[in-house]
Amino acid sequence: MSNFKLKSRLAFASILAVSMLLTACASNEPSCMSPQTRNLSNAISAVQSNLQSGCQAYFDSYYDDLLTIAEGDPRPENKREFSEFLVWAADDGLLSKRQAEDYYNRYFNVKFMSMRGDYNNCSHTCPNKQKVLYNMERELSDKERGLLRVSLDNDGYYRADQLFQEVELVLEATCTACAAGR
Amino acid sequence: MKNRLLGLAALTMTLCVTATALANSPTIRLFPTTVVEDLRQTGNVARDMETGLQEVIGRLDQQQQLYEQSKCDGAENDSGCQRLARQIGATYLDMLTIMEERLPDMEHTVNNTRQSLEKGLRNELGKKMTPWALQETLVGTGATKTATKSSPTLRGRSGMRLSERFKQYYQLVATSGSQSDQSLAVLASDIYLDMEETSVLIQRTRQEIARATLMEQLNQSFGIITPEMMEVVGGVKSILFGDEEAREIVAGPPPGSIEQAYRSPLEQ
Repeated sequence: MSNFKLKSRLAFASILAVSMLLTACASNEPSCMSPQTRNLSNAISAVQSNLQSGCQAYFDSYYDDLLTIAEGDPRPENKREFSEFLVWAADDGLLSKRQAEDYYNRYFNVKFMSMRGDYNNCSHTCPNKQKVLYNMERELSDKERGLLRVSLDNDGYYRADQLFQEVELVLEATCTACAAGR
Repeated sequence: MKNRLLGLAALTMTLCVTATALANSPTIRLFPTTVVEDLRQTGNVARDMETGLQEVIGRLDQQQQLYEQSKCDGAENDSGCQRLARQIGATYLDMLTIMEERLPDMEHTVNNTRQSLEKGLRNELGKKMTPWALQETLVGTGATKTATKSSPTLRGRSGMRLSERFKQYYQLVATSGSQSDQSLAVLASDIYLDMEETSVLIQRTRQEIARATLMEQLNQSFGIITPEMMEVVGGVKSILFGDEEAREIVAGPPPGSIEQAYRSPLEQ
């Protein structure tokens, strides 16, 4: 009888332990929800907390959420907030320095990240001219979001737009000249 | 005394460093003196051609007006109208002859300019620069500064006299010493592409002149005005003297007024 009682208790204890373990695991699972606040600083804090709790895979989506929140309250200071957030992400090892630079410059810099390379223009840019210009055009719309709609940097955006047109013209001429020299 | 000497030494060193930095600062050589000279010469040749053609084209306009006023359209068999048509045809031949005489000079100077610019663009922007360096050249030193109003206008000068166009190019290039590398790259590209088009146009025109002359010599015997003839005259007028139609200017967005002082450590 006492043996049966002991066995029952042991079985009950095992079930309890397993269910507690399962509950514990379930409560540790990160929710990875989008930030619910409309305040950029608070939203950044919420995202930082999520990213540190295992939601690194959602970085792109969080960055997009933050941009949308910042569009709701556009200010020149937003640039700094994004920069500090990306520096934090790089320091924390969530992003490489290069990735952090890409995220920042694609949205908040006049120059185009899609026009980079280690080789000269005749050999590198000209053979891919159409692709480069297409990617620059897409980046320009990200700059419109970052510079114009998030940071109210009208001058910066118009300069980026002008730079795009100048690159188009200069590449057309340079690539024609490169082709003529072959 | 010691402090003064130290100060002087520091100042001398600063000056030396600044001078070296200035001397080492990359300058792109897109406009050698030959280009400036070629542009000036092309402008002169274009002006001579315009002067020569202006009188003939004026005469053609008058003759055409007389033809219309005499209601010759639809009365081609009338002997008076045939005589008028022959006169118009003869003036048209004069125009073609003048063009035939002047175009080789024009072609020569345009090609010289195009080739010099081509070499400069290929070496300076094509081979010596990476895409990022090219962007930095175009943006200039102050990436966030407002675009200067003195930047050269981009392409599209169809409404301008040919000689005026070259005169403007010459003036821009002749004063290029005072312009930044940023403007020079755009200016050189702009002129080069324009020279490319002009060169092709001259080549085609020269080929066409021989054919048009032969056709008109045949037409002379019949006293016929062909629509092609009027088209050629219209084309020559628009190339040499510019389009009459005023091009509407579309208003741009309002310029921004916010000073951007912040520079991220991530900015490149």
